[in-house]
Amino acid sequence: MADFVQQVVSGLASGGVYGSLALALVLIHRATGVINFAQGEMATFSTYILWTLTANHGWSYWPAFVVTLLVSFAGGIGIHELVIRPVERGSVLRIVIVTIGLLLLINGAMTWIWTGEVRYVQGPFPTRTIDIGGVAISLQDIGTIAVSIGTVGLLWLFFQFTRVGLAMRAAAVNPAEARLVGVRVTWMLGLGWGLAAVLGAVSGMLTAPSTILDPSMMQVVLIYAFAAAVLGGIDSPVGAVVGGLLIGVGLNLLGAYVDFIGSSLQLPAALAIILVVLMVRPAGIFGRREVKKV
Amino acid sequence: MSVARACLALVAVLAIGSTAALAGTATGVGDPGVTPTSVLLGGTTSLTGSASQFSAMAVGADAYFRYVNAKGGVNGRSITYRYLDDASTAANALQRTRELVEQEHVFAIFNTLGTEPNLSIRPYLSSGKVPQLFAASGDTSFGRDYEQYPTTIGFQPTYTAEGWVLGKYLARSAPGAKVAVLFQNDAYGKDLFNGLRKGLERSKTRVIAAQPYEAGSVDVGAQMTKLKASEADTFVSFAMPKTTVQAFMLAGKLGWKPKRVITSALSSSSSVMQQASQGGTNRVVEGAVSIAFLKDPTDSEWKSEASMKLYGQIMKQYAPDADATDVSHVYGMAVAWTTVEALSKVGKDLTRASLLKVVDNLNAPGNPFLLPGITVKTSGADRYPIDQMLLQRWRKGTWKSFGGLWGYRAP
Amino acid sequence: MRVRRSTLRALALFAVLTAVVVVLPHFVSDFRAQQFAYVGIYLTALIGLNVLTGYTGQISLGHGAFMAVGGYTTAILMADHGVKDVWTIPIAAAVAGVAGLLFGLPAVRLSGLYLALATFAIAVATPTVIKRFDGFTGGGSGINLFGKPELTASLTPVEIFGLKLNFNNWLYALSWTVALIAYVLAWLLLRGRTGRAFRAVRDSETAAVSSGVNLALYKTLAFGISAAFAGAAGALFAIATTFVNPDTFPVALSIFLLVGVVVGGLGSLAGLIAGAVFIQFMPLWAQSVSSSAGAPTVVYGVFLILVMFVLPGGFAGLLGRLESLTRRGYDRSSGS
Repeated sequence: MADFVQQVVSGLASGGVYGSLALALVLIHRATGVINFAQGEMATFSTYILWTLTANHGWSYWPAFVVTLLVSFAGGIGIHELVIRPVERGSVLRIVIVTIGLLLLINGAMTWIWTGEVRYVQGPFPTRTIDIGGVAISLQDIGTIAVSIGTVGLLWLFFQFTRVGLAMRAAAVNPAEARLVGVRVTWMLGLGWGLAAVLGAVSGMLTAPSTILDPSMMQVVLIYAFAAAVLGGIDSPVGAVVGGLLIGVGLNLLGAYVDFIGSSLQLPAALAIILVVLMVRPAGIFGRREVKKV
Repeated sequence: MSVARACLALVAVLAIGSTAALAGTATGVGDPGVTPTSVLLGGTTSLTGSASQFSAMAVGADAYFRYVNAKGGVNGRSITYRYLDDASTAANALQRTRELVEQEHVFAIFNTLGTEPNLSIRPYLSSGKVPQLFAASGDTSFGRDYEQYPTTIGFQPTYTAEGWVLGKYLARSAPGAKVAVLFQNDAYGKDLFNGLRKGLERSKTRVIAAQPYEAGSVDVGAQMTKLKASEADTFVSFAMPKTTVQAFMLAGKLGWKPKRVITSALSSSSSVMQQASQGGTNRVVEGAVSIAFLKDPTDSEWKSEASMKLYGQIMKQYAPDADATDVSHVYGMAVAWTTVEALSKVGKDLTRASLLKVVDNLNAPGNPFLLPGITVKTSGADRYPIDQMLLQRWRKGTWKSFGGLWGYRAP
Repeated sequence: MRVRRSTLRALALFAVLTAVVVVLPHFVSDFRAQQFAYVGIYLTALIGLNVLTGYTGQISLGHGAFMAVGGYTTAILMADHGVKDVWTIPIAAAVAGVAGLLFGLPAVRLSGLYLALATFAIAVATPTVIKRFDGFTGGGSGINLFGKPELTASLTPVEIFGLKLNFNNWLYALSWTVALIAYVLAWLLLRGRTGRAFRAVRDSETAAVSSGVNLALYKTLAFGISAAFAGAAGALFAIATTFVNPDTFPVALSIFLLVGVVVGGLGSLAGLIAGAVFIQFMPLWAQSVSSSAGAPTVVYGVFLILVMFVLPGGFAGLLGRLESLTRRGYDRSSGS
């Protein structure tokens, strides 16, 4: 039983990471209709910034964390402005290729700047376990869950209760009408990319302490994030988070208790989820079903 | 679809083709890649990809060759070592190797990194009678299959030998211990594991739990949970560096502190151990044991020793941007030193055949970069250049070798 | 009258292409010929992907998986069943085609980004699936074909029509023969009803259905056909690299195939050739710009983005613009 609880808790922690990245994907998709294949690389890049500040320049964790978020925010807006805006109105295919180009660019840049050598990022949470009702729960897991929920929560508050948040939602749902009421749609799109970059950065910085930092760190996480976004509904922010938690806990439990899956088939299991959901109910759990009648 | 458009495209294709300015050394009389004043070695390594931390082996070898060239080379020849990126994949390794042989016209393929890359290029090189020198992999087949592939030879102790030594060590030092093993599910991990089991034969020490993980995967949470649940008192990790770090961090997170910890040589570099110990906060790693055959740059025992001083000087002069504390550079110099020895023994008349002859019957003691007492030796049926090693223990942020020399004879 | 002109044009184009292909090896080195062989292989795959993406408007980020099906079919047939390499190609194409149909049928409901995601999932899953069935596929160590008697010319040159071809030249001849056959097959297929149906699906699925086009049939067919071409390309790939293991067909391959089709320019042969050349030579060119670790990837990424900015129609679009410029010039000079 203790084992089960441990698995659920660590599943929730991974789920928080997947959910944050999935939320980033959903934000961008809702706003610009683009699937940003480079989201994972952007997250890794942000994590490298954190590493540079803490390991190379000796900053303490939380100031570095905040600065990284700010830099990521600016970076997200910058990327949208420089790279996405010129092709935003074009065909889906063109935008896909551009985000792929972005993926390569950022990935190569990380290897070039920081080399492929493995780095270690010390997390802000102690690596001890504490005893809750007889079960040893990792403090790091609890911290990760707290930060991801906190970030998502802050974002929700922002969207629900601020004018800018309202404007962003309007721009995403109906850009033409939003313009009519004075919303600067292009700014909102850029803002969306900035916030997505922040979410990605959080996801990356939460991932790093339990694994190692190298240019490929978020590649697998991105796939889990895709699975979460698809499962939850690619246009649903709530879906992204719920999807992430489901995937995190589900895969952990599957890996621990279903021997056939073991831990070597967790990734294919996630991919199978993507395929099955897309085939059976493309809109996901929370998405709106598109009905095409002829 | 217009004719003109297609013609333009095809002209472009032709243009690219005809600007085929090929470098490559002039193939004079005799074997390619060798002239009276130079010899060209080529190989692939992982500048990018999952094994990129081991590209330091190529960097170290290259630095040593430059140092030797500066002192006049070998028998009047300067050694050029061209290494290309295979992104840690066998398919790319084969492609780049073909490029090195057919376009760059190298004399020999040297120091190619990785078991699968070396296996994938072996038949090709063998059929072209191109030497596959000192393959950077501990896979047994490179020494075992010499009759079928006489042009191939390895260098480091095989994984089987390593596992066997560790098994014997456990059997002698911890009789009755209960061992849990995490191993990579490929030839590397399985060879180590089988060697370990052989070493533990007829002893009271038992393997009570073993968990494989897929090569390339880093997430070993489920495996570590199961190993902890086995209540073993000894944890053996036969994994790649990234996964090793993960495994130890997870052990700490799960609250598992086995009495004895063993890690594979490939994952024993100081940076890996530092990361696994999470800056010292993770006590699982303290006292970990591993085998060693190279002098570790962070080991205080060798700091003032002439050979490691030379190592430091060569690194500073020829590879100033590299991290000199990474023992993979020492590996590179060790294998480069051996190559220089072999080349000098061949003499003025350097051909592929004459080099192979020397390499197959090599006796090269005194390699300054190997631990004292370890000799590079091959002969008739023994095509394993290094089969001796020492044990070392990780204490307070550094490795310390202990005990006597261990040797392994392949059956 | 119109139909005949386009047929004449196509024939003339084909003749020119064949002539160039035949003549090229005399101008380039042996090793370069091998690189051009790969251009032919990628061209075959791109011709197939073009049927799906250019003509039917379906995005696939997973065609590397179909190449893997073809490649492994070839490798297994050659290694375990002693089939000569050339005969494995049509079999590999058929097997991959079936795989394409099997995927296409349930995927009918998907389009646009959802399809891209689904095919991406297939591409990512492929190496893992290959490793899982290792009894069959040789797992991580793969299947080595070099030196096997079924592999033509790998050890001794082969004689064809009185010409002695070593391995690289034989590869070149084989892959371009297949590419040219693929082109002819695609052309025949697309000029008829099937092609029109495909284009109708691309232009508007709703409109196509209202005009009576069986969406499920044609979308599935497009997948099957394009997968068959990819399978043939995969077979050639296995023959050329003489070795298959899960890394031979990584996710990057699927991505680069789509990149090749878009950068080259959807829908035109010139574009596809440019795309194939791009896939083969761009990484090498990027490395020559800078070989420090990571830099070639950056160059590749930047180049990709710039091409999408400046040439939305790919290289074929560029050629089209050049062509219309020269035509305008011609019209002007002839006095209008």
